[in-house]
Amino acid sequence: MNQQIAIKVKNLVKNFGKDENLVKVIENASFEIKKGEVVALIAPSGAGKTTLLMMIGCVIEPTSGEIWLGEDMVYKDKWMAKDTRRIRREKIGFIFQAHYLIPFLNVLENITLLPQANKVSEKDAQKKAMELLKYLEIDDKAYNMSSQLSGGQNQRVAIARALANNPEIILADEPTAALDGERAVSVIKMLKKIASEQNVAIITVTHDERILPYCDRIMKIQNRGIVFHDSDEKQIL
Amino acid sequence: MINLAARDIEHTLGKFIVTAMGVGMLLGIVLIMIGVYRGMVAEAEILLNDINADLWIVQENTMGPFAESSRVHEDLKNIIFVVDGIDKSEAMTFQNIQLPHEIKPVRVFAVGYDVYGTINPINKDRLIAGRVLKTNHYEIVVTDKTGFKLEDKIKLGRNFYTVVGITRNTVSSGGDPLVYISLKDAQELQFLYSNKEIHNNEARGVKNSESLMVNTVLATIKDGYDVNEVAQSIRKWQHKNVYTAQQQKDILTKNLIEKSSKQIGLFTAILVVVSTIIIALIIYTMTLEKMKEIAIMKLMGLPNSLIINMIIKETLLLGIFAFIFGNIFSHFTYDKFPKLVVLEIPDAWTLFGVIIVASILASFVGVKKVISADPAQAIGG
Repeated sequence: MNQQIAIKVKNLVKNFGKDENLVKVIENASFEIKKGEVVALIAPSGAGKTTLLMMIGCVIEPTSGEIWLGEDMVYKDKWMAKDTRRIRREKIGFIFQAHYLIPFLNVLENITLLPQANKVSEKDAQKKAMELLKYLEIDDKAYNMSSQLSGGQNQRVAIARALANNPEIILADEPTAALDGERAVSVIKMLKKIASEQNVAIITVTHDERILPYCDRIMKIQNRGIVFHDSDEKQIL
Repeated sequence: MINLAARDIEHTLGKFIVTAMGVGMLLGIVLIMIGVYRGMVAEAEILLNDINADLWIVQENTMGPFAESSRVHEDLKNIIFVVDGIDKSEAMTFQNIQLPHEIKPVRVFAVGYDVYGTINPINKDRLIAGRVLKTNHYEIVVTDKTGFKLEDKIKLGRNFYTVVGITRNTVSSGGDPLVYISLKDAQELQFLYSNKEIHNNEARGVKNSESLMVNTVLATIKDGYDVNEVAQSIRKWQHKNVYTAQQQKDILTKNLIEKSSKQIGLFTAILVVVSTIIIALIIYTMTLEKMKEIAIMKLMGLPNSLIINMIIKETLLLGIFAFIFGNIFSHFTYDKFPKLVVLEIPDAWTLFGVIIVASILASFVGVKKVISADPAQAIGG
């Protein structure tokens, strides 16, 4: 596989139910996303955006097809590894609609939790976390609890947490939904910067038209398949 | 690695402490229940230890004088005294009587002993005022809990008795305060009929010689003799039941207290089970409150072991804190109970072990919830 490809999906199918209750959600979806690319995933509600995101994130098992993450084939009609959680831990960072920081941990602990689970020493994990917080201009809040931060600050901490394990891929589920216009643009700009500077592929599910111009491509689920648009196309949503 | 359990507890410290205090009070009651049983055993042994006899000679085929009624002739003490190996022998009576008191009558357990004899049941260490009996008639030594004072006059049978001594912490195996009277007085109270009844009996041809009876003869053994061999020799030749001090203790603690101990044991076991269920429910609720965070942790790829470790540690910490609060609670309240409560360190350690096992069992409900948590819950609405 091309070394510049971060995600490759081939003939991916996802059905729910059986026989007369069969619901086809994704049919023969095939696409590739390069490292450093920010791709918006759009579709009407219930079209399968989150399902697709979770299949790529090794959370929901597809019905058939292939998924490659970087050099590794992780799914071909079955999971190739027993421990899909390990794939998530080592390769993927997640950002959610709300920040979902763990309320009983401070900012620094929220960011260092995953690297420490990956056997990174506490000292190295903290050093990396402080670098990320500095990069996201929020290093003065390292020892605060999430309840002491604003929505935008919390979302930046969530981004830092997603980056803490040096992922090849970031999967974001409507990361700007809870933010006002200025903060939403600030977050997507930040993701764009991260993608290009850290060579990370980012897929972001969104309904937010404001952030589409900042994405490299727009992936739309249409008739259960995938259609790509350029980010400067009008009337996509 | 970050200690998730400690961080979570720190975050909700007040709630955690109040919860632990609640469970701790339950555990405190468990400790007090055990203490009540220990108290019953201790009370049962007070009189036996104070008398400190090696042998208890009682009526044949009875488990007297406490568990069953026993009558033997007073002069048996002289026969026992000449048995090879016997150092001292004395006769004693034991009976429940009710002392009239200006507030309300006091039920007591009266010990009758030979004031001039060689075995004295009054432990001088327990004598807090006055003296032991000095004359054969109309003197009484009472326990402080009876409420009588020195020089008080108490009517018993046909006569008035003067309080000459007061003891502390002297109770019978049944928990009644002990009083001490002379053997002669005790025999009168227990065995002497009224004049009219004596006349009536004589008219029927019945001789009234029962006032020379006692409930038991006690003996001590000379150095170098085996207590069991001496006991066997008395059984063989005197046709009496003979119990060693240990056997008498067993009769009191194992037989008399057995039902109570079973009842207390069952009650204690139920309380431990209830505590375990409560801990399990608390942990289940605490886990439910964290389900979103747990789903996020699983989605991010944190291993189950890390999350399960947090749940088990939290449960154990809850158990340990509850145990500490339980001990504090029981030590502050045990002396407020009307009967003796004896708190012993080995019992506390046993309960600690039980609580650790119970906490681990209780954590399973939280662990099961963690294992079943769907990481997909973290994404979407």
